[in-house]
Amino acid sequence: MAMLEISHVSKFFGGLAANSDVSFSVEAGSIMGLIGPNGAGKTTLFNCITGYYPPSRGEVVFDGRRMNGLQPDRVCKLGMVRTWQKVRPLAKLSVVDNVMVGALARTSSLRKAREMAMEQLKVVRMEHRAAFPAGGLPIGERKKLEVARALATGPKLLLLDEVMGGLNPAESEEIIQLILDIKARGLTQMVIEHDMKAIMRISDRIVVLTSGEKLTEGTPQEVVNNQDVIDAYLGESHA
Amino acid sequence: MTKTLLKAAAFLAILGGLLALPRFMDSPYALHMMILLFLSVSQGESWNILGGYAGQHSVGHAAYFGVGAYTTMMLMQAKGIAPWIGVWAGVAAVIVVALVIGSICFRLRGPYFVLASIAVAEIMRLSAINLTGLTNGAEGILVTELPAFRIGGRVITDFMTKVPFYYLGLGLALLTLAVTWGVERSKLGYYFQAIREDQDAAHSLGIHISLYKNIGLVISAVLTALAGAFYGVYVGFVDPPTVLGLDLSVQIMLIAIIGGMGTLYGPVLGSLVLVPLSEALRSNMITDLLVKSGLVSADSKVGLFLKENLAHAHVLLYGILVVLVILFMPEGIMGFVKKLASRRRKEAV
Repeated sequence: MAMLEISHVSKFFGGLAANSDVSFSVEAGSIMGLIGPNGAGKTTLFNCITGYYPPSRGEVVFDGRRMNGLQPDRVCKLGMVRTWQKVRPLAKLSVVDNVMVGALARTSSLRKAREMAMEQLKVVRMEHRAAFPAGGLPIGERKKLEVARALATGPKLLLLDEVMGGLNPAESEEIIQLILDIKARGLTQMVIEHDMKAIMRISDRIVVLTSGEKLTEGTPQEVVNNQDVIDAYLGESHA
Repeated sequence: MTKTLLKAAAFLAILGGLLALPRFMDSPYALHMMILLFLSVSQGESWNILGGYAGQHSVGHAAYFGVGAYTTMMLMQAKGIAPWIGVWAGVAAVIVVALVIGSICFRLRGPYFVLASIAVAEIMRLSAINLTGLTNGAEGILVTELPAFRIGGRVITDFMTKVPFYYLGLGLALLTLAVTWGVERSKLGYYFQAIREDQDAAHSLGIHISLYKNIGLVISAVLTALAGAFYGVYVGFVDPPTVLGLDLSVQIMLIAIIGGMGTLYGPVLGSLVLVPLSEALRSNMITDLLVKSGLVSADSKVGLFLKENLAHAHVLLYGILVVLVILFMPEGIMGFVKKLASRRRKEAV
């Protein structure tokens, strides 16, 4: 069953097509990788899916429901939540309070929200940081906080926008394990990533975007052997 | 645990002292100062809910203060309706006004919201000046006599002294503190702060931004309107510049900025600084001190100049104070105290 179906989605900014006629679907419980050169329209697509931009054309169907025109808060309540490429901690709040803001989407009781938040902090191994102000965290922990906060909203589909960007190899490895753990819990994920090794390891399927269009789609093996992908990444002369 | 107990004990002790104070202090001037202090705390706490916690820095809170004050006074003067009934009409009116203002201004963020809030308050002030049939225009509304407050035919108070106003003011200040305390310890407080820290992130976490901003505004506006009604009844006179002016909007905001935005006791600390300061300036206390100490002779040019001008200098001094606070205590007095405390803790370790 498809958790997310994107059909013929286009997004225009004036005359510029940031996305044009992109279609694919994400199976429940799977990890979909989204790759492409800078400016390929990956983050724009995330914005269209999660309600930050209305798609100019096409349709986004999540869990059997048409999402076009819904605001981000509705999208979150329906079970789809994103993280940000440029992390957005609520700087003056403590780590646990940040995660509680996510958990409050599911409950109005602060006590319950705190329990849920601590649970998610355990998942990302940051319990010991609970009382620390979020603005003072190093980048690796900020990225993990983003994930914990998103998980606390109780999503069915998690959209991760470059959670490994700017991390060292050890930190990246930790995030990879985290993503696989989340998959083991049955959540569906869509992951934007530049680290090709990482995306090959974690993805069940991969969609490649270039200049706003879908270039190809397939299993990691299929994608890595695809001539068009090699051309797009390395230039045609290389082929 | 012992810390919360200590805090509760300190709060109760201060409250007990304040409740007993009028028994020992019958100077009307001292009572008047206390009433001004309570009024300032109420204004600062009310603004703080929207400006400090939710981060929506309104520079138009005079609009809500004025609507509360004017509605109560107009009903009293024109229809003879007692203020403790009229004030509820003021609250109803301010909710309508707040929702209209909110639906327009909350489309804007940051400095644009600030400008819009100023514009709306100015519209209210100009309306009060020009709708002479309703508001008596620039002349203002004067009500000299209050009806006695009775419960079951028994007169509780006839408002002949300042004491009933003292307790009313104290009650109002406590109400705004209690509401802030409740907001801080609820989902509302968390959502307000999330919006303040990062609106886009808050939106992605399931927070309906405009809904929660409007909730914050309505709570803030209703409390400000109650303060306005209290001011009108206590002073017995309202006119557009005093209850709807830009000065007032700025003053309300400064209470929280100087004391510490987004903290429960920040506006209390801000009031403890600002109320005595503005009173000292207004009453020429500083000039008198300089004269008494022999530094300046009362008949000299300097003495006369100070006597003439210092009373009007409070706006200038407020400006200097804000610059100093922003330079040296960007988190207000409350933030400064917290920083000192944490530094001391670190040194102890």
